[in-house]
Amino acid sequence: MNLSTSNSEYALEKLSPSGSCRLYGQVVLKLGLSMLTALLIIFGYLTSIGATGQGILERVTEARQALPQIIADPNDVMMFYGSSMTRAGFSPRQFEAQLGKKGINISAFNYGFGGLNPFFQDLLSRRIVEEFKASDRQLKLVVIEFNPFQATQARWNGALPSVDSYLTLLANNAEMHEFAEGDIERLARLYTIKYLRAGVSAEMITSYFAYEMFPPARPQGFADSEESIAEQRRLGQLLNQKFEEEYPNYVDAAWSYEWKGGGTIPSERTPETLALFEEYYDASFTDARMKNDRLGRINSADIEELRFEPLMLEHFINIVNNFKAVSEHVKVVMLPKNSKWIKTTPEAEKRLAQAVSLIQSKTGINIDDHQDLQIITPEMFRDTTHLARYRGDVPYTHYLVEQYTNYLRK
Amino acid sequence: MIFNTPLFFWFFCIFVLFYGFVFLKQTPRVYLIVVGSFIFYGAWNYSFIPLLVASGLADYFIAQAIYKAKTKQTKKRWVTLSIVFNLGLLGMFKYADFVLLSVADLLSTLGYQANISTLSWVLPVGISFYTFQSLSYTIDVYRGDMKPRKGLVELIAALSFFPQLVAGPILRAKHILPQMHAIALPTFSAVKHGFLLITVGLIKKTGADLLAIPAQAAFEAQGSVSTLELWTGVLAFAGQIYGDFSGYTDMAIGIALILGFKIPLNFRVPYFAVSPVDFWRRWHISLSTWLRDYLYISLGGNRNNNRTRNVMITMLLGGLWHGAAWTFVVWGAFHGIIITATHYFAKLPLFAGFANNKNKWVLIFKWALTFYLILIGWVFFRATDLASAIDIIIGLHTVNADAVQGAQALTIFVITVVWIFLTHVMDYGVIKGADKLENKPWLFWTLMIIGQALCLFIGAPSSEFIYFQF
Repeated sequence: MNLSTSNSEYALEKLSPSGSCRLYGQVVLKLGLSMLTALLIIFGYLTSIGATGQGILERVTEARQALPQIIADPNDVMMFYGSSMTRAGFSPRQFEAQLGKKGINISAFNYGFGGLNPFFQDLLSRRIVEEFKASDRQLKLVVIEFNPFQATQARWNGALPSVDSYLTLLANNAEMHEFAEGDIERLARLYTIKYLRAGVSAEMITSYFAYEMFPPARPQGFADSEESIAEQRRLGQLLNQKFEEEYPNYVDAAWSYEWKGGGTIPSERTPETLALFEEYYDASFTDARMKNDRLGRINSADIEELRFEPLMLEHFINIVNNFKAVSEHVKVVMLPKNSKWIKTTPEAEKRLAQAVSLIQSKTGINIDDHQDLQIITPEMFRDTTHLARYRGDVPYTHYLVEQYTNYLRK
Repeated sequence: MIFNTPLFFWFFCIFVLFYGFVFLKQTPRVYLIVVGSFIFYGAWNYSFIPLLVASGLADYFIAQAIYKAKTKQTKKRWVTLSIVFNLGLLGMFKYADFVLLSVADLLSTLGYQANISTLSWVLPVGISFYTFQSLSYTIDVYRGDMKPRKGLVELIAALSFFPQLVAGPILRAKHILPQMHAIALPTFSAVKHGFLLITVGLIKKTGADLLAIPAQAAFEAQGSVSTLELWTGVLAFAGQIYGDFSGYTDMAIGIALILGFKIPLNFRVPYFAVSPVDFWRRWHISLSTWLRDYLYISLGGNRNNNRTRNVMITMLLGGLWHGAAWTFVVWGAFHGIIITATHYFAKLPLFAGFANNKNKWVLIFKWALTFYLILIGWVFFRATDLASAIDIIIGLHTVNADAVQGAQALTIFVITVVWIFLTHVMDYGVIKGADKLENKPWLFWTLMIIGQALCLFIGAPSSEFIYFQF
């Protein structure tokens, strides 16, 4: 049998202590340097395209950076914590303005995050709670969104390539040990991602590029006419122009997303701009768009069957219990549902009822079900799940003001 | 502990520091290898270390007894004990449930209700590899090919040597024991070659993990899958299992070389084979030669007109070695049949010229036919059961243009084919011209850095090595 590892014969020498030190010194130096260079190349490339841990969790990073400012706020503080549906559906400045009219000074913050399922939200809530505890500060009210679509198995499976990266970005070392559950291999991996890869795992990068190269096969069988698409684009550009005209110095504005997690409010906009918004919405919220969006969300979040992932429910319960420690009042809500487009099956309704019951029993807090509010109509949604700016977030925020004013009085 | 994980990286860094700078003499190094190997194995499951030690201890004493035995009959008894002990261990852990369930199925088919409970034991990682390795020691001593070794710790170190412990290559005692008895120092050229093999192995493993996705999509599809997607899936699995296993053994050989050990080549561009017999000379060489030397030849080999029987037994058992399931048995039988058919046709006057024909087009035809047969074989290997294997094979030969992945299906097919080809070209380059590359330092280190960067950049959630389960 040929003993060589290729056609070439590689010589071996007689073992000697000095020879060994010299050889392995070279091994450590040259192999180590080459691997370090490879790591630096990757790190440099990721930084150049903004794919660092900070870049990936951009909104989370902003929100965490805003915490000291929020904690130092002289007013009572209210936070709405949840998913992208919260981000789209709650206007903190509208909330403040309406409460101001009732003589209540409150600072409201939208802590809604796209792409963060309850597992990640749980970790982030721990960081928020830590900051509040460290400053001995209490929230006056926290409203926590239970988003059934974020708690499904489909949603969790879709997030798997990102789990370890997000874990290293959001968890502390003690929590990393806890989640590794004694698996030393996973722990070594987590530490390596955290300290040598700046929070970005290879799986996450691959998943990102694979998504770009091969978008998941979704049954997108519906299309707007070319005229309709052109009109949507024209109106969108006009709205952008209006924004720049009306807010020439919007960067770092006190109301900005970076700070409050919310944007402009209708009372600041000109009637012409508001009319343009209506025109844009009428042109954009087409049946084709809604049908495609619905199919996409059935694929990615199982929105009509709602097969829940128990782990997601467990972490959601944690979120509620975490916030209890730093909040005078804790409310849990389910946001309005676009019932015209989302038709949950009877089995899904049963599963949802069981999930709600579990959360209520484990947290001791009743969930306020806002899914089928009379005041919210299908035209107020920009897609099958998210409320539209002004058209949807304002009426819903108004509803929240009516519901929760009593909790915010001194 | 898996080679392409941070845990192994840190383990190996620490091990090399001790190996290269602290344990500088022969005996301490052997002890260090044993301790390091136990830590490596124990990271998966410490409770099976005694099993590994028991296998080594038993064969250590049996080999002494064989050597001292005065008569051939006594030697035979001792070697039989070694075979029974090692295969018994393997049988208990790997095949007991398979046999029990098969008996229950058979009785049920015959109309008897059998209430058989299974053992449900955890399969110790690498047991198929180290039991075969240990067996080779006693059989070689029995055959007079080597003398028994005095050093028990050296034998345990050779048996548990972590680079090849859990997924091979299957080392012969007569090759590894002398190296363990006089540990050598590699030259830096050898270290560079080791590093090249590790990098190549990592690249192949990284690609294999990505190919697992289309393979899984085809083999575990819930609904209808197009013909193109099925072919893509089967090709992807061919690429996956090659990249996964040959990548692992490349890394094993490279790691061993850095430590001063030479491990034989385990793959020689197998998908360039031009006949089934040629394929088995190139695929998992350490297993195929083990089976040839210790089973096929023991059965009589080509003699006594029993070649067909011997080939079939060897290939059936070779299939079963891969896993306790009927799909593996059928895979082995399939290869037995195509090898036998190759022998049969080669003897016919009509095909005699064809078998030895070196014409380019004839070779391409033989390659295509061989590759097609290998792919059909992989269907049995990968399918969850025999019924779905048959369904997939029918699907491969039935036109269904309704692709789940739409226009992407063709792109994925092309990428899969190109990747398999590239890995073979890369391997061919390593086998034929590694020394030329290693003599051009700038090119060598640049390629190594690019290769390492690629592997740091690309990752897929499934990173278990397929051959760990065997």
